[in-house]
Amino acid sequence: MRCLTALLAFLLATLAVGTSFAQGDTPKGLFLTTDYPSQTVRAGEVTTIRLKLTNAGLPPEPVSLALKDVPAGWKIDILGGGQAVAAAMPGVNQDVALQLRVDVPKDAKPGSQKILISAKGPIAQSVELPLTLTVGTEAPAKLSIKSRLPSLRGTPRSAFEYTVTVGNDSGKDLTVALSAQGPANFQTTFTEGYGSNEISSIPIEAGQTKDIKVKVTPPRDVKAGDYPVLVKVASEGATAELRVTLQVSGQGRIALSTKDGRLSGEAEVGKASTYTLVLSNDGTAPIEEVEMSGTVPTNWKVEFNPKTIASLAPGEKKDVQAVVTPADKAIAGDYVASFRANGRGESASADFRITVTTSTLWGIVGVGIIAVALLVLLGAVARFGRR
Amino acid sequence: MPRSAVRVGSPFTGLAPVFMKELSDHLSSMRMMVLTLFVIVFGALPVGFALQDLRNVVVSDPYLFLRIFTVTPERVGLSFIVALNFIIPLMAIGLGFDSVNSEFNRRTLSRVLSQPIYRDALLLGKFLGGLTTLAVALVALWLIVLGAGLLLLGLPPRGVEVARGIGFLVVAIAYGGVWLAVAMLFSVIFRSTATSALCALGLWLFFFILWPMIASAITIGFAPAQVTSIDQYVAIQELGLALQRLSPGTLFSEAVVGLLNPETRTLGFMLPMQMRGAIPEAPLPLDQSLILIWPQLTGLVAGMIVVFAVAYVVFQREEVRA
Amino acid sequence: MADNVIEARGLLKTYGSQRAVDAIDLDIQRGEIFGLLGPNGAGKTTTILMMLGLTEISGGTVQVLGFNPVREPLEVKRRVGYLPDAVGFYDHLTAHENLAYTARLLAIPRSQSGRRIMEALESVKLADVAGKRVATFSRGMRQRLGIAEIVMKQAEVAILDEPTSGLDPHATFELLEMIRGLKRAGVAVLLSSHLLDRVQSVCDRVALFNKGKIALMGTVVQLANQVLGAGHPFLVEAQGADIAGALRGIEGVQTVVPEGEGGWRVMADRDVRAAAAQRIVSVGGSLTRLADLQPSLEEVYTRYFQEARHAA
Repeated sequence: MRCLTALLAFLLATLAVGTSFAQGDTPKGLFLTTDYPSQTVRAGEVTTIRLKLTNAGLPPEPVSLALKDVPAGWKIDILGGGQAVAAAMPGVNQDVALQLRVDVPKDAKPGSQKILISAKGPIAQSVELPLTLTVGTEAPAKLSIKSRLPSLRGTPRSAFEYTVTVGNDSGKDLTVALSAQGPANFQTTFTEGYGSNEISSIPIEAGQTKDIKVKVTPPRDVKAGDYPVLVKVASEGATAELRVTLQVSGQGRIALSTKDGRLSGEAEVGKASTYTLVLSNDGTAPIEEVEMSGTVPTNWKVEFNPKTIASLAPGEKKDVQAVVTPADKAIAGDYVASFRANGRGESASADFRITVTTSTLWGIVGVGIIAVALLVLLGAVARFGRR
Repeated sequence: MPRSAVRVGSPFTGLAPVFMKELSDHLSSMRMMVLTLFVIVFGALPVGFALQDLRNVVVSDPYLFLRIFTVTPERVGLSFIVALNFIIPLMAIGLGFDSVNSEFNRRTLSRVLSQPIYRDALLLGKFLGGLTTLAVALVALWLIVLGAGLLLLGLPPRGVEVARGIGFLVVAIAYGGVWLAVAMLFSVIFRSTATSALCALGLWLFFFILWPMIASAITIGFAPAQVTSIDQYVAIQELGLALQRLSPGTLFSEAVVGLLNPETRTLGFMLPMQMRGAIPEAPLPLDQSLILIWPQLTGLVAGMIVVFAVAYVVFQREEVRA
Repeated sequence: MADNVIEARGLLKTYGSQRAVDAIDLDIQRGEIFGLLGPNGAGKTTTILMMLGLTEISGGTVQVLGFNPVREPLEVKRRVGYLPDAVGFYDHLTAHENLAYTARLLAIPRSQSGRRIMEALESVKLADVAGKRVATFSRGMRQRLGIAEIVMKQAEVAILDEPTSGLDPHATFELLEMIRGLKRAGVAVLLSSHLLDRVQSVCDRVALFNKGKIALMGTVVQLANQVLGAGHPFLVEAQGADIAGALRGIEGVQTVVPEGEGGWRVMADRDVRAAAAQRIVSVGGSLTRLADLQPSLEEVYTRYFQEARHAA
């Protein structure tokens, strides 16, 4: 009964194979393949060769795997999922990844060796894959580095971010150290692709490339000009360099303060008080059209004289009068007023603590009340006194 | 008319002996001892508990010393200044309710007035004597509190705290002066010391218990049924405050809070928008606090003078003969 | 009349429409004891208070030691000692302390006041209780302390309002002695009283007050002559024959009025007591009493007000 079923299945399978071939469409059957059937291996090293067992249109069945013609002293294992395996069972139209772990002895002689890998299903389906392994000399590590935009332009406060592509052109995985050389006080950091972690080295698989971001922060007071930064990658004696350039343009920087640095003042209720603010440009380029503004408590008034400054050269200082009038009904005490200077793309603000004092007018009124009371008393004395 | 005849001689002739006698009478009297006991019980208790509470405070407070006066201890529920708010009138009434009518009743008035002094000096001397007694008692109390604070807190008050404390003393004395003048007014009006004491105490109770209710009742009466604007709301609130301030106790507590809580910015009604942009908990400088409480202080002083003037007029018009 | 210490002219005090003191004229001379007499409410105390500037004057003038109490009450009060009706002292102070207070009010220098107080207390016999509280003093002692105050003050005029009221006879006697002592010291004394017989014994002159007016003024004898008529009254008590007839027969006898059982009050224009005694004996009567009747102020007073009532 079983024999009959198996035979029937086989007949059906062959029929199907025959049909598929007859149609000249996707091949049916069992296939054992590899990307590189002829490879170089090095003596004393372990090389892993990727294999693929594909089942095209057949019912799944266990396929036993075997090696033939293994040279003496060599140790070759078939691995699947990291384990040594002796059989595989790919599903219909599916494949199973396999590795061939080739341990070449140190004393292996240079020259080609042929190895045969066979896969055999229970019903006479058998495929074979011949591999040619040539014992050769070691290829040197090789790195490459390039950037699409090696020259960036910006202000001293801009972020100069270069994307560089580092390639491992050698036949094995490498861990690549990253470094950069720039002018004094230039800071360089490396981050991986889209990550945010700073890195100092990065592993790159053989033949692969990786994108790395190089961020260069120039010092704030850097003068306008071109600054080169040399980005270096190195691994196992292989190095590669790339020169990136920062084109730093000048930038103005506004600072808002007072002459003596005190950011506090007094003001009387309902009366204008003037504070002299000092506007300075600590930057490297002139600032155009600086406009003053302020945030004060409700019902307060604030004015500036001058309201706008056409241009402020680097290193220049200018006095600005801020005229603050507390509300008529303001209550005595400390308040915060914010003064802001807005230039083109540049701004600075200063929080000013204003102590509001109330008028002593009411104090005088109070004295007046006492005076009236005393007058009443004096009147009483004049009218009724000395008895 | 003889009335228009100008009398010669200073009306203050003999002021000093009258003053000195009143002072020594007060300071040596049994009544003063009773009042002192009273003050100690009602004043020292809150202070003692306040100090115990303050010793457990770890947050550094630049006005720690002033908190002795203002803090409401958990166990007593009565701060020192609240206690003083009703002790001071009681002391003042105790010192003044029989100052003039007892002279009538002891038949000493005409004998004293037949000495070369005017009545002016007698009344003023009595008032100043009482006021000084009150001041002495308050200063002593103040010094005791200060000393206890030094002892238990172990740190000296800062200059500005002492200055505020002295301001508090001045306010307290002025407050006492108002009630002393009231008590003396009743002692001039009524020959019976019991009646005069009863009237003074009645007025005191009126201001402490009834007046807040009456003031709010009047305010509610004046308020429109529907408050439509902020201005209207403010007007109603300010009316209520103005009525409350007719009571000397309100003036006293406001002035004291302004002085001893430097964070106090206003004693009146305040809209939230007036506080926008203000730095909270920022203490006012002393001069600003003084300006803040100035109306309260001047109100107390002026009230004291006016009540004294009324007492003076009534006394001057009275016949000497018993 | 330069020696008048008090001169009142048309002195007037009105309370509304009521005239408490009605335009009185009064002169008190240096060194005399002058009595203001009259029932309670006659205006005596008001007059005194006006003299001291302690109450307003509604009209007229008064000069005390040359000062006008309206304008210069302090000067007047500095020189005039006043002992009010039922004088009061501070009970919680000692006699000495009470006087010391007065001394301070008088601005007596401290160096003198102690000595002057003790001298004054000695003069009224209170030196041994100087350190005692006045609360323990009797009424008489308080009055004496009041006198001591006047002594200490070295007043030129002493005004005493009802000084003897409420005192027992002994205390009254002592007090009157002290008032005489004041006079001896050259102090003019003005005292008011409604107790006539007491006043009579010390007063040089008296003024009789009635309803705000001075009804009578002068020495007691003058007043008696004025009210009771001039002459020498005497009392006869005798038994026997027609005593009244015999008395009427004596030359100079004006009236004989029976008084009590076997007694007659005789008024003559001269002293006829010797003749009367002779006459009674000669008509066979037995004379049991023959007394010269000093004109009594009480009598004057009673008579005067009786007449005033009749006249009204």
